[in-house]
Amino acid sequence: MPEFFINGKAVQAEDNQTVMQAATAHGHYIPYFCWHPELSVPGNCRICMVEVAAEGQAEGEGWLDIACNMPVTKGLRVYTDSAKVRARRKETLQFVTLNHPVDCGICDKAGECKLQDYHYAYNGSPSNSIDAKVHATKHHDLSSRVVLDNERCILCTRCVRFTSEVSKSHALGVQDRGDHSLIRAVGDGAFESDAYSDNVIDLCPVGALLSKATLHQTRVWYLKPTPSVCPGCERGCSIYIWHRKSEWRLQALDARRNARIDRVTPLENPAVNGPWICNKGRDLAQIFERARAAQAMLKGRPVDLQQAIAAAQALIAMARRPVTLVSSWASNEELAAFAQALGPRMRCFVKPDCQAAPGEVLQDGLLIRPDKNPNTTGARAHFDALPQDPRSAFAADTDLVLVWGEGYSFAQLPPQARIVVLNSYLQPENGHADVFLPISVQTERSGHYTNFQGVSSAFSACFPKPPGVADAQGLFEALGAMTLKVLA
Amino acid sequence: MTGRKVIMNFPVTATSHSLADYRARGGYQTLAKVLREMRPEQVTKEVVASGILGHGGAAFPAGRKWGVIKLNDEQPHYLCANADEGEPGTFKDRWILENAPHLLLESMLISAYALQVHHAFVYIRGEFDLPYRRLAAAVEEAYDGGYFGKALVGSDFACDIVIYRGAGSYVCGEASALITSIEGKKGYPRNRPPRLTVRGLYQRPTVINNVETLANVTAIVAQGGQAFRQIGTAKSPGTQLVSISGHVQRPGVYELEYGTPLAAFIEEDCGGVLGGGQLKCIVPGGISTKVLTAAEITTVTYDHASLTAAGSGVGSGGMVVIAEGTCMVRLLQILLRFYHHESCGQCTPCREGMGWMHRIIDRIVAGQGRPEDIEQLARISRANDGTTICGMGDAAGYATLGILAKYRDEFEYFIQHRRSKFDGRLEVEGPEAAHA
Repeated sequence: MPEFFINGKAVQAEDNQTVMQAATAHGHYIPYFCWHPELSVPGNCRICMVEVAAEGQAEGEGWLDIACNMPVTKGLRVYTDSAKVRARRKETLQFVTLNHPVDCGICDKAGECKLQDYHYAYNGSPSNSIDAKVHATKHHDLSSRVVLDNERCILCTRCVRFTSEVSKSHALGVQDRGDHSLIRAVGDGAFESDAYSDNVIDLCPVGALLSKATLHQTRVWYLKPTPSVCPGCERGCSIYIWHRKSEWRLQALDARRNARIDRVTPLENPAVNGPWICNKGRDLAQIFERARAAQAMLKGRPVDLQQAIAAAQALIAMARRPVTLVSSWASNEELAAFAQALGPRMRCFVKPDCQAAPGEVLQDGLLIRPDKNPNTTGARAHFDALPQDPRSAFAADTDLVLVWGEGYSFAQLPPQARIVVLNSYLQPENGHADVFLPISVQTERSGHYTNFQGVSSAFSACFPKPPGVADAQGLFEALGAMTLKVLA
Repeated sequence: MTGRKVIMNFPVTATSHSLADYRARGGYQTLAKVLREMRPEQVTKEVVASGILGHGGAAFPAGRKWGVIKLNDEQPHYLCANADEGEPGTFKDRWILENAPHLLLESMLISAYALQVHHAFVYIRGEFDLPYRRLAAAVEEAYDGGYFGKALVGSDFACDIVIYRGAGSYVCGEASALITSIEGKKGYPRNRPPRLTVRGLYQRPTVINNVETLANVTAIVAQGGQAFRQIGTAKSPGTQLVSISGHVQRPGVYELEYGTPLAAFIEEDCGGVLGGGQLKCIVPGGISTKVLTAAEITTVTYDHASLTAAGSGVGSGGMVVIAEGTCMVRLLQILLRFYHHESCGQCTPCREGMGWMHRIIDRIVAGQGRPEDIEQLARISRANDGTTICGMGDAAGYATLGILAKYRDEFEYFIQHRRSKFDGRLEVEGPEAAHA
């Protein structure tokens, strides 16, 4: 535990820490482009220069060196904001912006760009150069998901190191040298098939690597990040779902853009996913923005939601051997409400709502898990899993099946049983159910999922639920109360 | 008047590079004696006692570098000869590779024994053709002669050697970029710490020495470190191979004992300036050292202390003679074009700064210069000083600052008049043209 000094304040560092690590851990900010806590230290951006004073030297008499590669030694005296350091940062930013196009006006990164922030914080003066900038590719497709603007690239190599150290696809490298160096993907399509490729977009400190899905769609300051949990697999990575701020609601354009997932980024959570998520997590819109079921139905006939709830309650009250197929996408709160209201009256099995899509990565050493449902663990805390042969879940005299969530074929249900379906999405089966109740999706409610390690993570509502749609939790509480009343 | 010889002490003939000739000159006897009679630490002790400084450009004491290696740390060590001689104006290692490859190999074997290295490397410049062929042939001869492989010269010491050819990058002559290149990666220099003697090639302790530094080891061990110290000056023991080129009557490689008067060497041994011209300045040790004007070198002797006191350095021993009438603006343009082309692009100040300086000097030469461009060049040079991963950024800065400080009037003239103060040429007419 060596003690050293940052700007005259004593700091207790861990053994083998660098000045950057110790400073960051103790709330002293040192700017950086290329350094990342989860990646190796290349020391190439040179913006983290700090002043080191030797024994007997005062501030301003020391020498400059990079903090990210400087081991902490006992009694080391470091200055992060001396006149020397400030002058050096200004010079370095002059270099960084020399060939950077400064096209913030059309750059998706504007507003969350390190270079922009540092320019305002540490430089602030226009370029000293009058010569033409080095021109390079403005739009280079690294894959079908990621586009590279080589002019904006400051060659910090974070993306290269991510693919070689974290995702292990070794898909990116630096081609050529000097100020005409280019980040390029290897020719064998490794970047296209890298299941974590979109992390390089977050890693990029400038707007060089951008998502093709969100390119030029919106400015980040119109968006609000809501903490959530990725439902793509049982890992349950913590994420931010970015959606339009209510004060920036669009009036004239397509109103659906006000309730749209604009992008998904990782929410750093060392217990679950660290700072990464996989590409499936980026594409949550493809899951949640499918056609929604918003109309309650009795055998395909549209009815009022309250009418449908009453009909479901009547069926449940009458049933002697009811079975429920519990959704593995239900939140812990919904599961608890169900277990309390209806659980004792029914045989319940947890069904997998989603199976891996063809070609989807089943499992890898980093994040992706084989079970593609977020809360199997939470549901299994209450109920058994659906047996291998689903028909064995049903007794010969099963007279009611409550299907909660999607992913179950009616063909496998006993023919004599009445069917109550709770689903969020428009599916042909919905109309064949005796009672169909539309329910809200994850982005419209709050709750918790428990991942396969037993870690519970919270998600919050991003959008209001559509009219005519019920929250499963309230629905079960209503059904339970009514059933009790009937029985009494 | 160049003093005693350590390396160039035999007549070069058509066969003088062969194993037979080398043996006839007493070759490989020192190795046999070392393997028979000396412990590894004793060899290192002699090298430390000799006080030999690195001949690659940084003049770091070779013995101190060796002393970092722990012999019994139960991990492999590596030795690498840096034959990636790319500093413009320097071609002295080439002489050793072409004419005394066995001297290098014997020295490397002695060094390998001292450092307990069982895999030695020679990283040779890709453009070197004859030096490579001579060295490769010498390695083959040495293997056949039982000097490499297992149980060499009847001892229980084993050592193998690999020649690795570079692909033409200047930066790969920097020690850490060199090992990164050997590892098969892009030739990027590494940050220190860790030092290469702690974690170098394949993350193991590695000693990298210049070819000439290593070539001296045989002589040091043969005559003893203290005896070697008698050659040269107190602070710069030994000799330096100097490759002299440019506007000089007799260019070539000369072995200079440290302490030799510099002006006399150029005037007498090298025949003075080409075509009987006046000396304008010299680049004493590769273009990354600061130029010294004719007036500055009159009292300078060729050794580290004297050249450093004059504001320059021994560098890599690549001396360039520049005659009066040469346009220094054009000269700087060529230097900066080189540095721009060779910057590896890893760290920001050098990657951006070299191109920036190159664009400015190109603009000045094109007649579009502004008076503030001189200060701008100096500012970029200073911003590269000590801020980059390797020394290339600093080197370009030193060279630029040296020329700007001493020939500022030529730059001002060029910017004001949009043409060179001289006729803008770098060529000086040779003796034939002068007589015609």
